[in-house]
Amino acid sequence: MPLKIDVKDLNLFYGDKQALFNVSLGFPEFQTTALMGPSGCGKSSLLRCLNRLNDIIPNVHIQGKVLLDKEDIYAPSLDVVELRTHVGMVFQKPNPFPHSIYENVAYGPRIHTLFKDKTELDEIVEKNLARAGLWDEVKDRLHQPATRLSGGQQQRLCIARAIAVNPEVILMDEPCSALDPIATARVEELIDELRERFTIVIVTHNLQQAARVSQQTAFFHSGHLVEAGETGALFTMPQDERTQGYITGRYG
Amino acid sequence: MGKIVYTGYPAFFRTEVAAQAERPDLLNVHARYFLKENKKWITASDDVDMYYKHEVVGNLTPHQIQAIDSLKNQGQIRLVFNTGFFTHSDSREPELAGIWGGLIGSLLTLFVTFCTAFPIGIGTALYLEEFAPKNRFTNWVEANINNLAAVPSILFGLLGLVFFIHFLGLPRPSALVGGLTLGLMSLPVIVVATRAALSSVPPTLKEAALGLGATPLQVLFHHVVPMAMPGIMTGVILSLARALGETAPLLMIGMVAFIATPPSTFLDPTTVLPVQIFNWSRSSEMGFVENTSGAILVLLIVLAILNGIAIFIRKKFES
Repeated sequence: MPLKIDVKDLNLFYGDKQALFNVSLGFPEFQTTALMGPSGCGKSSLLRCLNRLNDIIPNVHIQGKVLLDKEDIYAPSLDVVELRTHVGMVFQKPNPFPHSIYENVAYGPRIHTLFKDKTELDEIVEKNLARAGLWDEVKDRLHQPATRLSGGQQQRLCIARAIAVNPEVILMDEPCSALDPIATARVEELIDELRERFTIVIVTHNLQQAARVSQQTAFFHSGHLVEAGETGALFTMPQDERTQGYITGRYG
Repeated sequence: MGKIVYTGYPAFFRTEVAAQAERPDLLNVHARYFLKENKKWITASDDVDMYYKHEVVGNLTPHQIQAIDSLKNQGQIRLVFNTGFFTHSDSREPELAGIWGGLIGSLLTLFVTFCTAFPIGIGTALYLEEFAPKNRFTNWVEANINNLAAVPSILFGLLGLVFFIHFLGLPRPSALVGGLTLGLMSLPVIVVATRAALSSVPPTLKEAALGLGATPLQVLFHHVVPMAMPGIMTGVILSLARALGETAPLLMIGMVAFIATPPSTFLDPTTVLPVQIFNWSRSSEMGFVENTSGAILVLLIVLAILNGIAIFIRKKFES
């Protein structure tokens, strides 16, 4: 399985405080990789390195390399804006724009002019809402404010919005932590379907979720990558006692 | 407030005497010009006006009072809507004085204020909030802007006097200088209000747009500014409303002069509504007391309209 993203010896500092220590981790293409670990372990920090969203935080300093399709995304010549069209992101809390459902999905294609005319844009919106499993629920009220949707629907709308710019990778930062179990189940199903077309990286501190949706799992603890590997193997035969402790619920 | 309405409302009406009554002693000092134009009704003098409205004797002789009473019986004296109060400029005669010059002056002055304070204020706030590096210098600038918002307005008048008039040599009681001075006064308020509105936009929305590959400028103008717009507009309109009612700094830059013609350019001698009210209020004639209250009512109505517009815009942007 070829690696879509390859992180090499990554160190991340917030001012003087180091948040990630020598992390090296590969993300195989068309698979879901779960980043797991207790709060503050650096899993979200790593995720936000992958689309350089950490750049907007003042005093962030990064050493090491992050290769996307063998290209270093921290190279000075790289266009961050273009990078983010290849690496989409879904956030912890659903954050639709305060516009209509239609406009939320259409925004990405609009700013990157991915369509020729209104009909084509309509098609893009429909296709991506359908992929996110939301089309049937919203097709009669596309022009109503997105904020009127339920939390689970909003999160699926955010997924539709993210995939509408045709990314190759989707980063998900605890996408279900603000959702109820039924909405969570729908999003997890969706993640499994999306895996056919996208490489997915999901941050979670929910063990069952990591086990359910991912093929690869990486376990983090206080900024260190403790171990990583095939999800089934990691859950059944953890190599490190810290991983074992987390999985068996001794801390977390 | 009730007293202002009670005193000011009659200012919107004036007493007129029929020309055929041939009582020049009851007419205003400029009556002979009106008589020449063959007008049927001529504006009465302020003493007659006061007697007719409020039965105040004032300087009238018993003979004149008798004449007014008999004219009343013959229907040759009447009260009409005082259009002159809105279409005339200032005058030494209260029955002829109007607020037109002050209104036009206020409009021109406010236009200058808006054109300077709005773009500079919004630009400053956008830069400080979204682009400026956080270091000791920008902290110092921010602290100073916050302090400037609380500086007494008369100090801005002093600054305007020294900088615009003495240093730049701009013409003294003009709408340009008045507007620039009020612009200086409004600037920090607009910056503070705009920054508050910008910082209230949730960062998750910015991240969402950045995550879709929007450039920082697109994030700013597609999401942050539209979301902050109601707050920005409210801040701007309220600070303009404050500038409209401001008197003290304009007195400092010499806008206190008696000006009987409305300004036609930004460089003409200008007076503004609150300064005209201030000037009238210093006059002891009863007619001017009435005019003062009447002009205050007009100013209050204009301010209420401005605030209404602020509320309307906020509602419109919110929906």
